[in-house]
Amino acid sequence: MFKTYFPIALLLILVLGMAFVIVLLSRFLGRRIPSKDKLSTYECGIEPTGDARGRFPVKFFLIAILFIIFDIEIVFLYPWAVVFKKLKVFGLIEMGIFLFILLIGYFYIVKKGALRWE
Amino acid sequence: MSWLTPDINFKIISPELIILIVALLVLILEPLLKGRSKNILPHISWIGVALALVSVITLWNREELGFNQMFILDNFSCFFKIIFLSGTLLVILSSISYLKEEKIFHGEYFSLILFATFGMMLMASSLNLIVIFLGLEIMSLCLYILAGFRRYDLKSNESSMKYFLIGAFASGFLLYGIAMLYGATNSTNLKEILIFTQGFENPLFLFIGLGLILVGLGFKIASFPFHMWVPDVYEGAPTPITAFISSGPKAAGFSALLRILLFAFGSLHIDWSFVLWILAVLTMSFGNVIALSQTNIKRLLAYSSIAHAGYVLVALVAGGDSGISSAMFYLLAYTFMNIGAFIIIIFLGEKKVNLDDYSGLVTKYPILGITLALFMFSLAGFPPTSGFMAKFYVFSSAIKSGYTGLAIIGVLNSFVSVYYYLRVVVIMFMRAPVDEVQKVPIPFFLGLALLFSVWGTLHLGILPQSFLTLAQNSIFSPF
Amino acid sequence: MNIPILSYMVFSPILGMILVMLLKKEQVQGIRWVSAIFSFIPLILSFFLLANYDPSTSKMQFVEFHKWIPSLGANYHLGADGLSVPMLFLTALLSFVSIIGSFNINFRVKEYFAFFLLLETGMLGVFCALDFFLFYIFWEIMLVPMYFLIGIWGGPRKEYAAIKFFLYTLFGSVFMLVGILALYFTVEPHTLNMMELIRRAPELSRGFQLIVYVAFYLAFAIKVPIFPFHTWLPDAHVEAPTAVSVVLAGILLKMGLYGLLRVSYPMFPKAALYFALPLALLAVINIIYGALVCMAQKDLKKLVAYSSVSHMGFCVLGIAAITVTGISGCVFQMVSHGLITGALFLLVGVLYDRAHTRDIDAFGGLWVKLPVYSGIMTLFCLGSLGLPGLSGFVSEFMVFIGAFPVFKVIVAIAVLGVVLTAGYFLRMIQRIFLGEFNPKWEGLPEISGREIFTVTPLAILMIFIGVYPMPLANMIRATMENIVRLVGG
Repeated sequence: MFKTYFPIALLLILVLGMAFVIVLLSRFLGRRIPSKDKLSTYECGIEPTGDARGRFPVKFFLIAILFIIFDIEIVFLYPWAVVFKKLKVFGLIEMGIFLFILLIGYFYIVKKGALRWE
Repeated sequence: MSWLTPDINFKIISPELIILIVALLVLILEPLLKGRSKNILPHISWIGVALALVSVITLWNREELGFNQMFILDNFSCFFKIIFLSGTLLVILSSISYLKEEKIFHGEYFSLILFATFGMMLMASSLNLIVIFLGLEIMSLCLYILAGFRRYDLKSNESSMKYFLIGAFASGFLLYGIAMLYGATNSTNLKEILIFTQGFENPLFLFIGLGLILVGLGFKIASFPFHMWVPDVYEGAPTPITAFISSGPKAAGFSALLRILLFAFGSLHIDWSFVLWILAVLTMSFGNVIALSQTNIKRLLAYSSIAHAGYVLVALVAGGDSGISSAMFYLLAYTFMNIGAFIIIIFLGEKKVNLDDYSGLVTKYPILGITLALFMFSLAGFPPTSGFMAKFYVFSSAIKSGYTGLAIIGVLNSFVSVYYYLRVVVIMFMRAPVDEVQKVPIPFFLGLALLFSVWGTLHLGILPQSFLTLAQNSIFSPF
Repeated sequence: MNIPILSYMVFSPILGMILVMLLKKEQVQGIRWVSAIFSFIPLILSFFLLANYDPSTSKMQFVEFHKWIPSLGANYHLGADGLSVPMLFLTALLSFVSIIGSFNINFRVKEYFAFFLLLETGMLGVFCALDFFLFYIFWEIMLVPMYFLIGIWGGPRKEYAAIKFFLYTLFGSVFMLVGILALYFTVEPHTLNMMELIRRAPELSRGFQLIVYVAFYLAFAIKVPIFPFHTWLPDAHVEAPTAVSVVLAGILLKMGLYGLLRVSYPMFPKAALYFALPLALLAVINIIYGALVCMAQKDLKKLVAYSSVSHMGFCVLGIAAITVTGISGCVFQMVSHGLITGALFLLVGVLYDRAHTRDIDAFGGLWVKLPVYSGIMTLFCLGSLGLPGLSGFVSEFMVFIGAFPVFKVIVAIAVLGVVLTAGYFLRMIQRIFLGEFNPKWEGLPEISGREIFTVTPLAILMIFIGVYPMPLANMIRATMENIVRLVGG
């Protein structure tokens, strides 16, 4: 038990120590010249306005969820494409079924009007 | 690197496929159909369930593995599928009028129920911990939504939220346990775990993993101390869904637990049976004692469902052939009597859930009163109903395996339970009716479901032999 | 003989129940007569049993056997011997009489008779079931209608009485269930057949017998009831409607004794011998305690109820003695108490229906106004207190004769119970029927023809057994000898 985990523990200690040391070093050694621009919140180069915890329409949430679902679909497509040649026809059919089921979901979403923005 | 095409065998998953296709069909039809034509959706659903039942029966007495040993078709899984499908059938039939009454008649409801059933069937048939987890998640996610189906009702929202949070928590435990087992045995396949556990050395990980899985599934079957969600969820969820949650997922959890404990870990029976012994005693006692003071019938049945999980745990502790078959018989009997009792609550609606609302029910609706009394007596374990037969079988298997003390505690518990079941009967039969609201005729399909569950309760009680044989033929060979 | 006469007997009331359920709520007369007819059928069949019973053997007769649930080892097995036949007859008779006696029920008539017929099936079933599983099922089935009958049609504290009765009895029977299971798994090959288990009894070890005996004893003792489990009885009897009290006292109490004789004694002989003395002590407590409580009663029905406790003590004493005479005396007492107390409850009901009070002190000098009623009542009271020539005397005498050689001191104390019994019954007769007439009861009507009809057969049998006990004694002798032989006392 000890033997197997000792290297991992050692690595953990080393990594933590290294990170700590580097942060400390830059704190002591680096020069600091603060200016107004440097201290402002970084938000894609745009001035932040309002409260970060502001309310937003639940429609965004719905779209985001739907996006994630179909995003995952794409994620599956990548590894599939890599081994496509090995899987041959089986892979094609299998992915067809997978996409078909998702298509039904998409169809349902569209028909239910989940993507309409009014 | 060579690639092997997975052994796909559509025949052995035909019941699951039927359910899945019907569920998708209902999902597509829901936005397409408008107005009154939506009324066919429940009928499509229950016909699909009936078809799946037929296909399960045609698969009886076959033993086949498929999908790289992940999926197993055996009588054990078939028996559980019969339990799930009959439960689903009853729930769908009794939901129709309820949904219209509550103005939540949407096709998604049926689709979700079917998806949940699909998940349960997957759980019963899996020979791999990952597939068990997959089935559990499919089932649970649908149930979280269904519990909150009465969107306008705060209690329903609370029910859904609580169920979701605690369920997700439990899934985490289960997954962690699976990871531990994988770490210990280098496999998630139950057969390989069985081979491993028969060896001499069992690392500590193995037991930690098993313990975590016990916690994860303990939430699903509502055993002590993982039962806290039960009363709130049962109270808030729409009544048909409460009926559904109390029968199907519980049976599914037990099917997984039976396979894991008595199959994969069968050789370590001595090690885990003690823990389960304590759990069984606490679950039974806790459920029954708290149920004594309930005034809401849904909460009362929630605690009773905890207690019943305890009785099934007794069968698990007993182990062996009779332990497995008695647990299965118990779950079948419980499905009929419990859903049967809920059907009457469904009929009376969400506003009449206090015990006082049942005053003099028998004078107003004699048939409902008498059948509810029948189900109450059955839940209490009174002959000649299925509840008695099931309890008799469970306790006899406990005594057979030498757990006489556990059997005595169980019998005393069912004695305690008689008090609160009888209270319902007292209120229905011996009090004067409270209000003179107009009598509503019993809807046809609800009546059909009621008839079906009465038949189940009496048939399993008076002439149980055929079902006992069925249960005895459908055990997997325990270690 | 191939006619399944016992099945017909047991299930004809169920058939009647189904018919009653099919009738409309408003057809009160129809419901009454259907129930009467379907409870009359078992009575006719029980005459048939009496006529065809062969008293020369202790073997089971009229046996029926069918496979039922092979997986659990349960079979449909009925049969009757010298112990069951008198009980079956008594059950059929009292049920019929009670149903006739319930014709004055006007509230929820349909349910009342349906439950009553179900109750009759349960009671008949218990007395002829020879398979433990079947026995247990009948034993439990009987509880349900009884519970409703007390709980719906009972007196002011009906709910309390019903649930108390139910829980007490159930508490005992769950232990019986565990006992049955333990027996089943101890005997190889496993069996639930009572006759088979009796044959195997010598195989059971003494320790095991003691434990299982206690489990069964709890069930039976609560039913009898033997002190200290008697507290449900006064509540249930007092709150129950008249006809239900009749059945409760006349038949249900006998089930505990029947169970002791059918199950506990032949199956656990070593335990039976071991517990004989404690049982006799409890019996004498029952006798004396019951009688003393009766002395202090103001409520007429409660008095009869406690007199049952006292009389059951005589039965238990006879059983504890383990002699042929003692046990025969117990069976005699079972039959005689069924007849007499059944009639007493009916008569108390008659008075209560008219006067709406059961307070003994409220009456006085009723003999002037109601000579027929008073005469009948006095006759049964004399029967109950053991007047020679009536059945009560025969049975108590047999119990004492049978028990005296075994427990001399205990019997000597128990005889005092007879004196006390005479004391409270005579006191009751004096307060109600003699003395100064209470003018409040000027308008009290005399007992009706239907009510006389219900008590007549009971009176005839009481006198018949009292004067000529030979037929009954002959009928039960072989069986009693067999029981004593099995226990080896």
